[in-house]
Amino acid sequence: MISFDFEYYKPSTINEAVQLFYTLQIQKKRPIYFSGGTEIITLGRLNLVTPEAVIDIHDIPECKVLQLDEYHLVMGAALTLTEIEKANVFPLLSKTASEVADHTARNKITLGGNICGKIFYREAVLPFLLTNSQVVIAGPSGIKRVPIQDVFYKQLRLQTGEFLVQIVTNQNDLSVPSVSIKKRRQWGTGYPLVTIAAMKTKEGIRAAFSGLCPFPFRSKQIEDDLNQTQLPLEARIEHAIHHLPTPILNDTEGSSEYRIFVFKNTLQEIFTALEGEEHAQ
Amino acid sequence: MNIIGKSIYRKEALDKVSGKAKYTADEQSTDMLHVKMVISPYGHAKIEKIDTSEAQKVPGVRAILTGSPELPLIGEEIQDRPPIAVGKVRYYGEPVALVVADHPVLAKRAADLIKVAYKPLPVVNSPSEALKSDAPLVHEKLDTYQRTQGVYPEPNTNIANRTKIRKGNMEKGWLESDLIVEENFSFSPSDHAAMETRCAIAEIHRDGYVHITSSSQAPFMIKKWISRYFNIDLGKIVVNTPLVGGAYGGKASVQWEILAFLASKATGGRRVKLIYSREEDILTAPCHIGLDARVKLGCTRDGLLKAAEIVYLFDGGAYSDKSTDISRAGAVDCTGPYHIENVWCDSLCMYTNHPYATAFRGFSHCEVLFAFERTMDILAEKLGMDPLELRLKNAILPGHKTPTQVLLNNSNLGNLPKCIHRLKELINWDEGSIVEIDERKVRVKGVSCIWKTSTIDPDASSGVILTFNRDGSINLISGVVEIGTGTKTILAQILAERMKMNIDQIHVQMKVNTQTTPEHWKTVASRGTFMAGRAVLAAADDAIRQLKEIASCVLRCSAEDLEVGFGRIFLRDDPKVGIDIKDVAYGYQYPNGNAIGGQVIGRGNYILRHMTHLDPDTGAGQPGPEWTVGAQGVEIEFDKKDFTYRVIKAISVIDIGKVLNEKAAKGQVMGAMSMGLSFAGRETFIFDRYGRIQNSQLRTYRPIHYGENPEYIVDFVETPQLDAPYGARGIGEHGILGMPAALANSLSVAAGVQLNQLPLVPEFIWRRKKGAQNDFV
Repeated sequence: MISFDFEYYKPSTINEAVQLFYTLQIQKKRPIYFSGGTEIITLGRLNLVTPEAVIDIHDIPECKVLQLDEYHLVMGAALTLTEIEKANVFPLLSKTASEVADHTARNKITLGGNICGKIFYREAVLPFLLTNSQVVIAGPSGIKRVPIQDVFYKQLRLQTGEFLVQIVTNQNDLSVPSVSIKKRRQWGTGYPLVTIAAMKTKEGIRAAFSGLCPFPFRSKQIEDDLNQTQLPLEARIEHAIHHLPTPILNDTEGSSEYRIFVFKNTLQEIFTALEGEEHAQ
Repeated sequence: MNIIGKSIYRKEALDKVSGKAKYTADEQSTDMLHVKMVISPYGHAKIEKIDTSEAQKVPGVRAILTGSPELPLIGEEIQDRPPIAVGKVRYYGEPVALVVADHPVLAKRAADLIKVAYKPLPVVNSPSEALKSDAPLVHEKLDTYQRTQGVYPEPNTNIANRTKIRKGNMEKGWLESDLIVEENFSFSPSDHAAMETRCAIAEIHRDGYVHITSSSQAPFMIKKWISRYFNIDLGKIVVNTPLVGGAYGGKASVQWEILAFLASKATGGRRVKLIYSREEDILTAPCHIGLDARVKLGCTRDGLLKAAEIVYLFDGGAYSDKSTDISRAGAVDCTGPYHIENVWCDSLCMYTNHPYATAFRGFSHCEVLFAFERTMDILAEKLGMDPLELRLKNAILPGHKTPTQVLLNNSNLGNLPKCIHRLKELINWDEGSIVEIDERKVRVKGVSCIWKTSTIDPDASSGVILTFNRDGSINLISGVVEIGTGTKTILAQILAERMKMNIDQIHVQMKVNTQTTPEHWKTVASRGTFMAGRAVLAAADDAIRQLKEIASCVLRCSAEDLEVGFGRIFLRDDPKVGIDIKDVAYGYQYPNGNAIGGQVIGRGNYILRHMTHLDPDTGAGQPGPEWTVGAQGVEIEFDKKDFTYRVIKAISVIDIGKVLNEKAAKGQVMGAMSMGLSFAGRETFIFDRYGRIQNSQLRTYRPIHYGENPEYIVDFVETPQLDAPYGARGIGEHGILGMPAALANSLSVAAGVQLNQLPLVPEFIWRRKKGAQNDFV
């Protein structure tokens, strides 16, 4: 149960939201934006997140958009993972999102919440890292649309008062051959040990990772390693391991050594899925 | 048989599936106060200072309680536990303070403001560690504690109890053994994870009457404890228990009720409510016991078991509570269901700085069978013998004796060979236990045999009252708590069968009220059907006698000529002559106005027969009335590359004596199997070196989820227990007993390495394959 009092606001435009944040900030109410609210509740009951005001973005039309035309897919940050899964306009995203938490939680967890929250897996961002999507961010200095790789490093680098409004993806990236695999400590539920989302383009394989480190990442160096087609797959994977960021997580889900073992096997499975039997073990 | 065997819906089913069913925490009232706990963040630490000044300032706070030497030390067999920690904390999650306030939010707000200063102490982090001569003492004053008879703590150690089994002649046994194996096993404590978290409501009236409502398996024990520890007349304590949302043994201990009572006392007797959050339910409340075990087995080269030497170190945790009894139960059935003439066992209950343990489905049998049934498989491998063949060869039979030297017969022992044969059919054993699917995947079968008796108090009894309604229907009032076993419906079936009535005419009182409901010792041990069932039959016979007595006047005949059934009392030799039960159940009124008989009230009770304490030196004694046996197996699909697996099938064949309700029985066994696989496959507390549990939420402590389950196959063998209702044996627990062993047996074969620890997660298998030693903390 949440034992601290807080104010709840539900603005109906982006401007209203940004203004509210500014005002509440001045009043020292430590406001935060509220999307699905699952994390606010989860961490709030443990007193790890204690805002005095929350700003719910659900009434802002831009945040609930799900629109596909011949050029772009636009997805609002307040869309729930279940809504995204059902619409299935971006198969790689549907697959990745559908493995997060469980169905009941996904009815509430939003795209924006999963990406911008404190819980560091942020698996919903992986497909967008691969498609070099653009993020639409609203804040005190207005609305900007920037490539995700310019503002995402371990997490979405938002200034105070900014919030994610939408993510825009090129339509032709939606149907690129892709695969997403999530491995857990045991069976089919739980936090990831390793989640890998990957795509196969003309230039080679792109891969983005979560669960291995306390942040999701996509690395050019690792992709170069994996695309060294003159080398056997095992050697490429070994090189990639050398270039992994640190730290590798060591926790109740699994040790770091074991995670590396799972990482290797999962990468092999990714290659088999994208390139066929030649890489099957 | 009319109703016996039929798959009747539970009496409380509609309320449960529609969400209408009411549980303890569902009671709300505006004048209720709410309790919130402050719990220990350390596994072992001195409490230096508790500062409640900021908490006192929160409006709506009515009382703040901390531990005090004035409060009694409580416990089941050893009174070693302060209800709220005094001087030091001995486990992560131990209650340190209580806040009582007008509203739960205010109580939590105040609890969050209580500042406690601790000085950490060295932690005893496993039962093996606890046994070492230089281990810190969890209870320095062990010798000063009050205790009951039959428990043997060893002062200046961390040994809370030692139960010895000394049967036969060990020297002879080893001499006769051509082959010997010795193995070590280990797993940490874990959680019951019932859907309903624990809750208690307490109120003390002006006349001194104490009213408690609790989600408990033992409402009558709550009554006893409040009386004993707080010097209140037994008759002035009334405990109510409505439906309970899952218990599995975890609600057989008394803890939250005492806290609620203290909170009420501190606020002048106000009605107070304490609900455990999920984290508190996992940490503060007693848990599922852990075990370090060593099993040494000897057999002839033909595979006949000759000697067993066993040491069980149970992780009783910070306080002894029920774990001294669990360790005793572990000794009682310390071997699997086998005929072994020479048995030496020391079963120790160890104090550690872990949450203390209470009963868990199986009451040491699932734990002990993991160790023993793994050793059987290892022995079979060494012998070059089929694992089921080895078990069949040594199956315990009528005429043999148990480790506590109880002589078994056709009634008090089920038919294990028959169960094994049936298992072989269901698991398709003859096709082979290993099937390669491709270079990566392999399907492997693993088996285990099981048995269990109960070790409840030798004077445990169960009572039942039957009252009639004017339409001739019956109200069944029994002290069995409906914790989800469906036992109360089974009792209705037993009654309907005896009275030859329609089941819809039997109205079951679901709630238990200790003032008006006859006592059923505790709803544990799979003895509900047996004991309460016998009490129901006794009460039915009592009611029948009274009905016949009144009817014999009206029909002008001898009561001996009468039968009762189909809503009537009639002449056996001329059924047309008779009278409806409804015209007699409240007495009979003649046309002129005279009335005779009065209300028929059936009463019955059953007390366990010939139970004895165990001899302190040999363990000899009769702890339970019968041994239920079975054979279980799993089939897994294992990936040899990444060591992941899924359980495809799980099979149980249990000698149930008589199936009373087929779907209910299958449901019970399936549910228990699911718990066993979940415990073996994924559940464990993960402790850090300060004894702190790292996974105390359902996001990190994960019972098996729907979709991860195997296909369950359940079948029964029927060897009647002659003194049980319709020959039926209780099977509430048995489905769990062999699952961890069967799973480990199949995985050990699949992985090609012995897996002697739980949980059986892929990382553990990977480590074992890498050649790491079984690491014992």
